[in-house]
Amino acid sequence: MSRATQILAGAGLLALALLARGWFEATPARHMLLQYPLLIAAGALIVGALAHFYAGAWNRGGVASLLTAMFAMAFWMLPRMVDASVAALPVDIAKAASLAVLVGGGLRLGWPHAHPLLQAVLKAKAVSMLGILAFLYTHAPERLCNAYLLDDQQRLGEMFLLAALVLAALWIVPLFGLSPHASRTRTET
Amino acid sequence: MAEAKFAPQAAAVKFTMILVGIVLILMMTFGLIMRLNQSGMIEIDSALFYQILTAHGAGMVGTAGLIGAAIMWYFMGRYVPLVSAVYIIFLGLFLLGVVLILGAIFVGGYAGAWTFLYPLPAMSGGLWSGGAAAIFLSGYIAIGVGFLLMHLEVGRQLIRAYGGIGGALALPLIFGKGKPEDAPPASVIAAMASSIFNVVGIVVGAAVLVASIVNLLEPSFGVDALFAKNMIYIFGHIFINAAIYMAVIAVYEIVPEYTGIPWKSSRVFALSWSFILIFVIIIYPHHLLQDVAMPPWMLVMGQIISYLSGIPLLAVTAFSLLVYLRAGPVRWDLASSLLVLGVAGWTIGAVPAVLDGMIVVNRVMHNTQWVPGHFHIYLLLGVVAMAFGFMAWLVRDARTEGLSGLDQLGVGVFLVGGAGFTLMFLISGAMSIPRRWAVHAPEWGLQAFIASGFAFMTILGVLLFLLLYLGGLMSRKKA
Repeated sequence: MSRATQILAGAGLLALALLARGWFEATPARHMLLQYPLLIAAGALIVGALAHFYAGAWNRGGVASLLTAMFAMAFWMLPRMVDASVAALPVDIAKAASLAVLVGGGLRLGWPHAHPLLQAVLKAKAVSMLGILAFLYTHAPERLCNAYLLDDQQRLGEMFLLAALVLAALWIVPLFGLSPHASRTRTET
Repeated sequence: MAEAKFAPQAAAVKFTMILVGIVLILMMTFGLIMRLNQSGMIEIDSALFYQILTAHGAGMVGTAGLIGAAIMWYFMGRYVPLVSAVYIIFLGLFLLGVVLILGAIFVGGYAGAWTFLYPLPAMSGGLWSGGAAAIFLSGYIAIGVGFLLMHLEVGRQLIRAYGGIGGALALPLIFGKGKPEDAPPASVIAAMASSIFNVVGIVVGAAVLVASIVNLLEPSFGVDALFAKNMIYIFGHIFINAAIYMAVIAVYEIVPEYTGIPWKSSRVFALSWSFILIFVIIIYPHHLLQDVAMPPWMLVMGQIISYLSGIPLLAVTAFSLLVYLRAGPVRWDLASSLLVLGVAGWTIGAVPAVLDGMIVVNRVMHNTQWVPGHFHIYLLLGVVAMAFGFMAWLVRDARTEGLSGLDQLGVGVFLVGGAGFTLMFLISGAMSIPRRWAVHAPEWGLQAFIASGFAFMTILGVLLFLLLYLGGLMSRKKA
C-alpha cells in the first residue's frame, strides 16, 4: 500500500469514527470495541505512512512509543474519560486524536522494533487485561459509566471476554504452523 | 536427534539451587514444628500454626516451581540461545514475591493457606487485615509474572528453533510424518508441553488473584465462590504438576550420561506428552470431588482422567528408565541415585493420589492426612530428590567417582526419613486423622510423634546434601 493510500485510508477511518460517533457511542460495546480500534487503526495507518520522519535513537526497541501507547490507552479506558467523551465533543475529539496518534501511532512505530519477547509479553498482557476487564464489567454491582446502563456494561464485559479469547486464538494458532526448515534457518543465522 | 549447541547459563542456576536448598530446609523445619505441635511435644499458638502452615504450603509449592524452572532453564540453554536477562528478572520477581508473602504472613498475620480459597482471604475473623491478604496475593502475582516471562522466553525460542509448537512437541512424529531421529530431544518436548500448560494455569491464576484483590479492596465486587475455586485449582494443580514435569527434564538429560544411552524421543513418548498437555488441564475437578454443587460430569471426568493421567507419562518415563538402567552397567553416584529415587518417588506417590481421585474414596479421605501423604511422596521423594540429584550432578567434577560414605549416609537417611514421614501421613489418613488441624486429639499424638522423628531425619539428609553441594561449589571455585 502506497503512503498516499495509507493516509487516505487512515483519514477515512478517522472520519467514519467521528462522523458516526452517535451510533458508535450509543452502547459501550460499540464505543470501546469498534470505535476505539477504528481510531487506533486510523492512527497506525497515517503515522505508519510518515514513519520515516520519526526515525532515530529516541525509540530504541520501540520502548518509548509503546509506553506512550499503553499510558494513553489506560487513560482513555477510565470510565470517567469514557463518560466525558460521550458528553462533550471537544473531549471526544481529544480522545480521537490521542487514540489515533499516541496509541495507533505509538504501536505502529514501536511494534516492529520491539524485541520478540516484549511483543510476547504485551500480547499476554493484552489478553489478561481484557480478561480482568471482563471480570470487572460483569461483576461490578453498580454502573461504572454514567452514560451507560448496567445491562450494557455487563454486555461489554462479555464482549471483552470474547475479545480476549479471539485474540488468544489469533496469536496462538499461527505458532503451530511455522515451517521447521524456515525456522531452523532463522535460528542459525 | 538434535545435539546440544549452546552453553547453559550455569552460574545463575547454581545460585538458584543454593537458594532452593536453604529454603527447603527452612520450610521443612516449619513442617517439623507443625508435626511436633500436633504430637503435643511442643505447644505453639494456633494462629501461629496456621501462619506456618500457610508459609510451608506457599513456600514449598513455590520452591518446587523454582526447582523445575531452574532445571528446565539450564537444560534448554543447551539447545536454544535463551536471553539471560529474562532469568534474572524471573529470579528477581520470585524473590520479590517471597518477601511479600513472608511479610504478609509473619508481619501481617495472613494465615489463609496457600490455596487462598475465596472468600477466606477477606474473612479472617480479625486475625489479619485485608491489606495483609492483598499483599500475600500480590506476592503470588509477582511470582506468576516471573514464571510467565520465563515460559514465554523458553517457549519463544523452542518455537523458533523447532518449527512451531507442533515441531517442539514432535507432532509430526506422532502423526507418522517424521522419524524419531529428526524429533526434538525428549527434554525439549517436555519443556514445550510444560510451558504451554503452565502459562494456561498462570493466566487463570492471575485472573482469580486479581478478582480476589479487587474483592478485598472493594467487597461489593463479589465472585462466584465455586467458580473461583475452580480457577484456583486449575492454577494450583497445573503449577505443582508443571514443577514435577519440568524437574523430570533432569532425568531425561542426566541419566543418559550414566547409562550411555540417549533418552529417545519415541512416538509413544511424544504421544504421552501430548496427552499430558490436555490431561493436566482438565483433570483438576478431582480436587473438587466434595463440592456437591459441581456438575456431575466434571467430577466423573476428574476421576476418569485421574486414572488415565498416570499411564501415559509416568508409566512411559518409569518404564523407560528401568529399560535404560537394565541395558548396561550404570555408574552409581549421588546424582544418579537421587534421580532414580526421584522417578520412583514420583511413581509411588501417584498410587495413593489416584486412589484419592476416586469419588467414593475421596468422600471419606479428602480431609484426612491421606492427602498430604500422597503429595509429600511425589514432592519430597520425587521433586526434592530430583533437585538434589541435579545439584550433585552440577558439581560432579569436584566429586570423587561413585558413592562415598557420606553420599550413602545422605541417601539412606533421606530415604528412610522421607519414606517413614510420608508413610505416617498415609497411615494417619487411613485412621481418619484430619489434616490442617493445629490441635490434635491425644489419641493422634503418637502418629505425629513418629512422623516428627522421620521428619528430623529427612532434614538431616537434606542438610547433608546441601553441604555436599556447597562443598562441591567451593572446591570447584578453588580449582
